[in-house]
Amino acid sequence: MAEITFDRVTKVYPDGTSAVSELSLDIADGEFVVLVGPSGCGKTTALRMVAGLEEISRGELRIGGRVANHMLPRGRDIAMVFQNYALYPQKSVYNNMAFALKIRNVPKDEIDRRVREAARILGLTQYLERKPKALSGGQRQRVAMGRAIVREPQAFLMDEPLSNLDAKLRVDMRAEIARIQRMLGATTIYVTHDQVEAMTMGDRVAVMRGGILQQVDAPERLYEQPANLFVASFIGSPAMNLVEASLEAESGRLHCRFGDSSLAVSDICRQARPEIEAYAGRRVVVGFRSEDITDATSAPEAGADRRLKAVIEVREALGSEILAHFSLGEERAGLALAGDVIEEQDGGASSPRSRRFVARLGPRAPVREGERAELVVDTDRLHFFDPESGLALGRSRT
Amino acid sequence: MARSAPTEWTAPAPPGTPVNVAGPSVPLAPARSRRSRARRGVLFLLMVAVAAVMLYPFYFMITTSFHTEAQYQTGHGSSISSWTTLGQTVPIGQQLLNSTLICAASIAIILVVSISAGFAFSKLQFRGSQGVFLALVGAMMVPLQSILIPEYVNVSRLGLTNNYTGAILVYAALGTPFATFLMTTYFRGLPDELIEAAVVDGLSYPATLWRVALPLALPAIATVTVLQFVQIWDDLLVGLLFLQNPAERPITVGLAVLASGRTTSVPILMAGSLVSALPAMVVYLGFQRYLVRGLTLGVGK
Amino acid sequence: MAALVTPVAMSRSVERSQRPRRMRLSTQRRLTGLVLSIPALALVVAFVVIPIVQAVYYSMTQWNGVTSTWIGPSAYTQTFHNPAFWQVLTNNGLLLLAVPFALAIPLGIAVLLHERVRGWKFFRSVYFLPTAISWVVIGMVAERFFAYDGPLDKIIGSHTDFLGSSSTALLALAITFVWSMIGTNTVIFLTGLATLDTTVQEAAFVDGATAWQSFSNVTLPHLKRFVQLAFIMTVISAFSALFSLIFVMTGGGPGYSTTTMEFFVYQTGFSQSEFGTAALYGIVLFVMMAVVGIVQLKLIRSE
Ligand SMILES: Nc1ncnc2c1ncn2[C@@H]1O[C@H](COP(=O)(O)OP(=O)(O)O)[C@@H](O)[C@H]1O
Ligand SMILES: [Mg+2]
Repeated sequence: MAEITFDRVTKVYPDGTSAVSELSLDIADGEFVVLVGPSGCGKTTALRMVAGLEEISRGELRIGGRVANHMLPRGRDIAMVFQNYALYPQKSVYNNMAFALKIRNVPKDEIDRRVREAARILGLTQYLERKPKALSGGQRQRVAMGRAIVREPQAFLMDEPLSNLDAKLRVDMRAEIARIQRMLGATTIYVTHDQVEAMTMGDRVAVMRGGILQQVDAPERLYEQPANLFVASFIGSPAMNLVEASLEAESGRLHCRFGDSSLAVSDICRQARPEIEAYAGRRVVVGFRSEDITDATSAPEAGADRRLKAVIEVREALGSEILAHFSLGEERAGLALAGDVIEEQDGGASSPRSRRFVARLGPRAPVREGERAELVVDTDRLHFFDPESGLALGRSRT
Repeated sequence: MARSAPTEWTAPAPPGTPVNVAGPSVPLAPARSRRSRARRGVLFLLMVAVAAVMLYPFYFMITTSFHTEAQYQTGHGSSISSWTTLGQTVPIGQQLLNSTLICAASIAIILVVSISAGFAFSKLQFRGSQGVFLALVGAMMVPLQSILIPEYVNVSRLGLTNNYTGAILVYAALGTPFATFLMTTYFRGLPDELIEAAVVDGLSYPATLWRVALPLALPAIATVTVLQFVQIWDDLLVGLLFLQNPAERPITVGLAVLASGRTTSVPILMAGSLVSALPAMVVYLGFQRYLVRGLTLGVGK
Repeated sequence: MAALVTPVAMSRSVERSQRPRRMRLSTQRRLTGLVLSIPALALVVAFVVIPIVQAVYYSMTQWNGVTSTWIGPSAYTQTFHNPAFWQVLTNNGLLLLAVPFALAIPLGIAVLLHERVRGWKFFRSVYFLPTAISWVVIGMVAERFFAYDGPLDKIIGSHTDFLGSSSTALLALAITFVWSMIGTNTVIFLTGLATLDTTVQEAAFVDGATAWQSFSNVTLPHLKRFVQLAFIMTVISAFSALFSLIFVMTGGGPGYSTTTMEFFVYQTGFSQSEFGTAALYGIVLFVMMAVVGIVQLKLIRSE
């Protein structure tokens, strides 16, 4: 096993597309790192550079401490699981797994031992003689995993390995891959566009966008302390509510105002993010997660400076909770929801974002579609971002 | 090929007929059913008539070959004499052997060059490979007759018309463009990841072709082989000009030369024709689906 | 995973195989591609491309196999004054008239066969079978079929030698040609019909279309690309695959009445030893094929 280091790695394709820019990332021995980001952000390119399938334009890639920029794939001792599995259709499951070992002249009984061991781990023992065509999607996925496992490589690379599976199988395999990775203790880089996969699987998650690394952190930190607007909106489902507001100092208190609404920044929040003081009298983007909103009936003690007068537009009852999509009265048109900010930055390329706020309420919250409701925001947990740079204010809180 | 049997259309049920969505289709009104049965009968007879027209040459060849020349003129009687004397009139064994040898050698060359080139054009692109590919495929449109004179001059100046080599090379060159086109199209259908997986597994590119792509190309190889076999086996022009030694003539050329003499007995000619047609027919019937695939390649789905 | 520890043997073999090759992967890829495409390219350049260039040169010489004199482009204008040349071109044009028949008849057969006639697979094989026999053999049978007192003559009772009369010889050739294209084209159309989504047809019927309307509005447009393919293959055959048929059936005669351009090349070169003129006819044939190819491309592009 080995550690993998990207040192200001850049990839510019011959046609001028800059797919990965100045990527710096240290992956420790045995670590499971997930690269996540919207489609086209350069994840696959980054992975293929590690595999040796794509040349590195600038910067240095080190595998196990050795500079690997010009190493051939076979010299890197790395295994890759492809999105479409890339199984050899004419070979049986056994031979698919054994192939790489045969190429490397591993003794026959050693091959046999490793293939059977991998098949046992993956539950493929009774399918060893089948051809890939005769397997289900999930089984093929396992064979692709098995082909990587038997190699006992320095590192595993996986490019959206679950995206061709149906939803239920995806959830099962998610846990399965995480289990196997922990069991083998193998350094793994896992690429996905699905933030749920990223959050559930990775020791650390690296968020990319437009070829640029946005943030690398453990899943919880990514969620709690997004480094910028993009990460804030990308990680978490439903996405964080983001709205442009003016930060106003009034008799020693800080208020953020947007439309007719006003939220007071709590003292806890101010202590945790001293940077926001400098923004008094300026515009900021304020964010709050949907689960940090409750309906006023279950928080009667909350002051008026934490309340939002909402109009419930869509109510999604999920059983264990209610997702309430709401707007803030008549003033909607004047509000710049931060989704717009992000869309502008993406050149309008990303998917259309909800122009509403979302609250995650208790299953019996008294909200009805089309009616007004009073909602309470946990103002200890507000997030602030610079509207120009998009960077988070006061990320340093632990 | 047409695996899914064409389903006959049944007209929409008249209004008021209960429609059973899950169950068997609505029963037809008896009158309609009678009419459609009659229609089917007529269709069947029509198809039989077409079949008779298409099979006529076989009928003619078989019946004629069991006559003597005199019997053929009068149309009465039968004899197997043309079969027994066939070997004396024509060196049929040698000619069959020649045909086989020339086919085998040409096809081997075509396969080797078209598989390598097809793999290169589809998976190992280099600067200008698209242009080279188009030029190669464009050569498909050049008929041999257009370049017959210089081709003949070149090959005979090289002294290659005195043995099989000249004809084999000409056949190989004429078959290569289409075979390369077919192979390129076929390999394009293989996912790039398959090749990359092999590279990550530790294979060099030539080894990837040999150990991963080639085993997968068997259907395409079969298509090329069958198409080229029939083409070369049935060809006259190349054999006529590029094989100057009569002992090396393939069977189709041998027959044509015999026929153009106009002194040979028709029954013997027909017996020879049957012998010559048999291998190609066996290949045709046995490998029909590969032929059809080759035929309709490029039309897409 | 204690059981899956990397054995020493493996990493050693990896290093060994890596050392002799220092080339980058992308360089290896391009180089391998280049090397692999060379044999095919060499073969085609040597036996197709170079001869084309030579043919252009030869076409402007007078050359009887022994002495060769340069004439220049005027060789072409001289040819245009040769009445035989025009007759041959006319023959090619007349053969084109057979192409619609070589398409319509198989189209009809395919559509009918597609109605799931009992034994349609058997019929398909039977219709396809003649495609396997060589033009030489077809020609030999056709020669007897059209002969004086031959089967056709007996049916009609006209006492003519169809191949011996310049008014009917080309027609006989065209009929034989149409007959021999039936198998190939039927199979092409059947393949096309098999890819037809029957629900579209059904939708047409639900919309109240008659059988004919459904055929012309759904089936035929769907078959368009297959018809194009059959068309181009038939035209190519008409221009460049009838050599053997003509060689066996008529030898180009009587007179020039069944000589097409491709046969004209052979005749001029190898019967009359006028290699220069023969090369010129070859160029003319090449231009004809190129025109067909370009028209075809235009048709496909125009969609
Ligand atoms: N071979 C290539 N040539 C040119 N541009 C490419 C190539 N491969 C990918 N790209 C571009 O590079 C960017 C990143 O692609 P990719 O790494 O595949 O993204 P992801 O895997 O995150 O969806 C995209 O804009 C894509 O269009
Ligand atoms: Mg990708």
